[in-house]
Amino acid sequence: MRTRDGILVANVIAGLALGYTVANIGFGDYAELNRMFTFQELRMLLAFAGAVAIIVVVFAVLRVRRTSGRIHAGVIPGAILFGSGWAISGGCPAIPIVQVASGYLPALVTIAGIVVGVRLCRWANTRYFHLDSGSCGR
Amino acid sequence: MTEYWPWWAGAAGLALTTINYAVTTDRSFGVSGAWDRVLHWRAERRVERVNARFADERVLTAALAAATADQFGVGSAAPAAHPTPHGDAPAPRQDGRPPAAPNSSLASLLPAPLVSQVALLLSIFVGGWVAAVTAGRFQLRLDMGDAFGQIVTDKPIAMIGALFIGGVLVGFGTRLAGGCSSGHGLNGCGRLQPVSIVATAIFFGTGVLVSFLLWKVI
Repeated sequence: MRTRDGILVANVIAGLALGYTVANIGFGDYAELNRMFTFQELRMLLAFAGAVAIIVVVFAVLRVRRTSGRIHAGVIPGAILFGSGWAISGGCPAIPIVQVASGYLPALVTIAGIVVGVRLCRWANTRYFHLDSGSCGR
Repeated sequence: MTEYWPWWAGAAGLALTTINYAVTTDRSFGVSGAWDRVLHWRAERRVERVNARFADERVLTAALAAATADQFGVGSAAPAAHPTPHGDAPAPRQDGRPPAAPNSSLASLLPAPLVSQVALLLSIFVGGWVAAVTAGRFQLRLDMGDAFGQIVTDKPIAMIGALFIGGVLVGFGTRLAGGCSSGHGLNGCGRLQPVSIVATAIFFGTGVLVSFLLWKVI
C-alpha cells in the first residue's frame, strides 16, 4: 500500500469509511453538532474522544512514527478561526461534502467558502505570513 | 429512518479508518490538506514533476554505481540498490558503504499523489451518500435543518451568508493552523503531537464558545 497505486487505493478506502462513519455518527446534522458543542448531548464528543483514545493506544503499541509538526505562529489563530467557522456553518472540511451527499444543498455554499478560504490562506501566507503550516495531509 | 450510531460504534469507526490508513501507508491523512492540494493542482503537479525527476536521477546514480561495481569490483562502489516502496532506488553513500535499507519513512516524506487527494474527497462524498441512503436520511432540501434555522438564521439570504463566511473561516483557519479535525484531531492527537493537541483543544474550545453564543446570546 506504499506505492503510488497503493496510496490511491488507501485514500479511496479512507474516504469511503470516513464519509460513511461521520454521516452515521451525525456530524453532518447541525442539531447534533450544536448539541455536542453545548454539551447537551455527549454522544458525538465521546465518539471523537473515544476514537482518539483508541488511536493513541494502537499507535503506541504499533510504534507508529510521528510526523513533523511544530507549534508555529499560525496554529492558535488558525484554530480559533476554524472553530468559529465550524460552529457557524456546521462543517469542518469533510462535513459539507457529507452534507451535500445527504441532500443538504446549501452546504454547497459552505464548500464554496472553504475553496475561497483555502486559496486565500495560501495567497496570504505566500505574501504576508511566510509560515510553514503544511502539516496536514502530507 | 435509522438512528445515529452510539458513541462506541462511532469511536470504533473513526479509529479503524485512521489506524488502517496509517498502518497501510505509513502516512496520516487530512481533509484540509487534500482540499489545499487539489485547489492548487497546477503548483502541486509542478512539484510532482520535480519529485519524479529527482527520483529518476537517483535511479540513474544507483545504476551507475552498480555498473562501476561490476567493472572494478564491489569495494570500489556501492552495490546495486534495492527499490524503495515508491520504486525509487536509494543513492549510494559518499563513503562507499552500501546504501541504507529501503526506508518507508523516506518514501512517506513525499506528498501523497495529487490524484489520491482528489480520490479522498470524492470517496467522502460517496461514503456519505451511501450512509444517508441506507439509513433513510437522504432528502434533497434547500435549508440546513430546523436547528440551523432556530440557532443561526432562518432567512435564506442570511443563511447563505453565514454558510459562506463559516466556510471561509474553516478553509482559512484549517490551512493557517496546518490541519483540521481529521489531520490534527484524529491523526495528530493519536500520535500525541503537541501541535495537534494544542490546535484541537483550541478549535474545539472555540466551537464550544461560539455555539453557546449562538444558542444563548445571539
